[in-house]
Amino acid sequence: MLASLIRRRWPLPVIALTVVVVIVAFMLAGSADEQDDLVVYNGRSHYGDEQVFRDFEKAYGVDVVLRGGTGPELYERLRREGDATPADVLVTTDLANLWRAEESGLLEPSTSATLEANVPVALHDPGNHWWALTTRLRVPVVSTKRIAPGEITSYDDLGDPKYKGRTCLRTSNNEYNQSLVADMIAKRGKAATEALLRSWMANDPKVLNSDGEMLAVMAAGDCDIGIANHYYLARALQENPKFPVAPAWPDQDGAGAHANVSGAGVVKGTDQRKAAVALLEYLTSPRAQRAFTDSGEFAISPSAPAPEGLADWAEVKVDPIAVAQAGPLLGEATALMLSVGWN
Amino acid sequence: MELTTARTPAPPAAAAPRRARVSGWVVASGAIAIVMVAPLLALPASFFRGGVGFDTLARLLLPDALRTSLLLAGGVGIGTLLVGGGLAVLISFYDFPGRKWLDWALVLPMAMPGYVLVFVVLGLFDVDSPLQSSLFGSFHIPGIRTTFGGICILTAVLYPYVYVLGRSAFLGQSRQTLEAARSLGRSRGGAIRSVALPLARPALAGGVALAVMEALADFGTVNLLGIRALTNAIYRVWNGAFDEASALQLATVLLTLTLALITIERLLRGRARYNQSLARGDAVEPQPLRGWKRWLAPVAPCLLLAVVFVIPVAQLVAWSLETIREGTTVPNLRDAVWNTVFLGVITAAIAPVIAIVLVYGMRLHGSRTNRVFTRLSTVGYAIPGTVIAVAVYVPLVWLDRRFVDFADSAFDASIDLIFTGSILGLVFAYLVRFNALSFMSTDARMQHVDPRLDDAARSLGADRARVLADVHLPLLRPGLIAGALLVLVEVMKELPATALLRPLGRDTLAITVWEATKDSRLDAAALPALLIVLIGLVPVIVLVRLLRAEGWTSAADQFG
Repeated sequence: MLASLIRRRWPLPVIALTVVVVIVAFMLAGSADEQDDLVVYNGRSHYGDEQVFRDFEKAYGVDVVLRGGTGPELYERLRREGDATPADVLVTTDLANLWRAEESGLLEPSTSATLEANVPVALHDPGNHWWALTTRLRVPVVSTKRIAPGEITSYDDLGDPKYKGRTCLRTSNNEYNQSLVADMIAKRGKAATEALLRSWMANDPKVLNSDGEMLAVMAAGDCDIGIANHYYLARALQENPKFPVAPAWPDQDGAGAHANVSGAGVVKGTDQRKAAVALLEYLTSPRAQRAFTDSGEFAISPSAPAPEGLADWAEVKVDPIAVAQAGPLLGEATALMLSVGWN
Repeated sequence: MELTTARTPAPPAAAAPRRARVSGWVVASGAIAIVMVAPLLALPASFFRGGVGFDTLARLLLPDALRTSLLLAGGVGIGTLLVGGGLAVLISFYDFPGRKWLDWALVLPMAMPGYVLVFVVLGLFDVDSPLQSSLFGSFHIPGIRTTFGGICILTAVLYPYVYVLGRSAFLGQSRQTLEAARSLGRSRGGAIRSVALPLARPALAGGVALAVMEALADFGTVNLLGIRALTNAIYRVWNGAFDEASALQLATVLLTLTLALITIERLLRGRARYNQSLARGDAVEPQPLRGWKRWLAPVAPCLLLAVVFVIPVAQLVAWSLETIREGTTVPNLRDAVWNTVFLGVITAAIAPVIAIVLVYGMRLHGSRTNRVFTRLSTVGYAIPGTVIAVAVYVPLVWLDRRFVDFADSAFDASIDLIFTGSILGLVFAYLVRFNALSFMSTDARMQHVDPRLDDAARSLGADRARVLADVHLPLLRPGLIAGALLVLVEVMKELPATALLRPLGRDTLAITVWEATKDSRLDAAALPALLIVLIGLVPVIVLVRLLRAEGWTSAADQFG
């Protein structure tokens, strides 16, 4: 075909351009979305709760298009799409992601009587840009084989010199850690936080890519103390009750265990506002909440039953993240973590 | 091959008066070169946004990242030289049982990307893995998540570069040279050391340089092992701290490092090309080993091959079968396969078109300008995918915004992001990175086409277009197909640019393996990892067949 075109004296660059244009048009045609669908950017895509969205589709009668990615990926994507975004709802993990989205003006306020009833006041943005879907604790976890129960009682213990070479941390690139440190800066002050982080670093922790990997490394005996979100451990224990790692609830005499949220908000400029709010109402409703707690996270409603097998865990004294103060400190937290050598 | 191009000798077209003008070919190849290189050239501009110098994050990360990258590069250089060079000597100068098949089997580890080997190693290492069918039980490698662990992994998958180039250099050496050294009183080992090795130095250095560049460019291995190399630093600044300027600055450093390495390699090699023209049967005969040495010699290569290739592949097969049986493999595997193939095919369809424009432009107008343009447009192959991704991203986002604003103001329409919202930006990054592959293989064919053939066709009345269509294209076809195949395979294995530029939800096999390994969801990644190795085997098998059919020297020419 190419040969015959060239033989008919079509200049090759023109042919090349045509080929490229055709391919591009083909690709763009494929990427067009139906206008009537509710497009959800879903940062919880690795949590296996897609079924909740399918149930909503049936209940509400709207097609939901899920686009998965990590929190940072979705944020970057939304930011660059601006008003042109096809997204109607952002569902994401961690306050850091919610706060960054709100701060960059990517979310619009939304509220309804149902939302107000479903979500406690402390668990949504005062300006109603986002609503929490679940809460999760980021706590020290310890090897049951090499650490005695009650030996670790605070975040500060990870900096105890006697644990040198025995600790591990997830990379400081991770937003859970960024939120944890930002919250510490907000509550303890920068100098105290820096001293704490330096003591952690002095123990030469292994830096790992994910909470799941951390638990695997701990089970393998390569690390005795780490910091992980509680539901990763809950899932590991669900699969294998003899999994040799246990939570060590921190600061129970003091502030309590760091509690963070996952949440959702309506994307600015959506043309599906009604359906978007309906989705938020559905996700915060007791029925959908059960799906989230099935995977080990805590429901937002204090009256909701604790996740199966985690009744004791739900009794833990928690220290909810200081939303308004910690958010603006995220950048500072990231720089601080890097400057003390937390990679 | 048919050369009967002049079936119907058309009457010569009325001789059009020739005007001196800039050739369309120069314009076309110039445009391609500019589009391909401009993003890279613009990288240093990141140092001048708001003040001059490094941003905070870049300054914090740079010392450690630079040190680690250099350590990694140095370690991999030494490792591949010892392993690849040693094996090349062993196979070239000594004969022992199993030598014939080891000769080509030692190339196989090339098919395995570093991140797949990491996945297998971590999978074996994970004592609580849901995977039951571990061939050797699970065992413990304490130092794997260190720079040294990364050096070992990368050496294991990169030594074939040194082996292949070293092997072909040794085969190109004349027996007489070695015998002359022997007659002057050297032992065989001494003769190899003092004559054969120095003669092969340019080839070995070339292989090491390739391996070191791959090591600098590696993202998957260092990311999964938590090694603080530059590629990893760029990724994290980009994707966790959203600090565009810092990422671009770190990318500039890595780009400089890569270009410096190329320059050093060129300078060191200089004109040193110790080619001897060999008559048939003049090559070095491997000397049969005797006694215990005869049986010891194959042990080391076999062990190596077992550890870095046979066992990992067997393990992947076992895991894949298990996950298929239990249905625990990643749920959207079909999408991942489709995305991988789609991206590969699209890129592999565009790359040969660009290659023809460049190659044919060079043939018609071998001017200096045109040569420079062409050389520039292939520079991407030496540059890490991470660098290319961040470099093309910024201008594409800018273009996207212009298009969106234009559509908004002109038609009051809201359009999707054209480049960064679709796979277009990613395909562009692939083309910048892999254009060299299709260009080289097409150009190699074109070199073999005698210019007199063009003249003959022209004198029979064919115009240039017809010469291209009826004379060159049929002759170039093998080169075009080979180039497209190489591009296809490379794109399907590619991780770093895909990780940064893929549109939401467009996960490829490589991404699936990478993400699952990061999260320790090892059962999800076994089958995708196996598929990647199978894809990677395609060009390696082609190479091995070439080596066996045409002999090492000419095959290595095509490969290098």
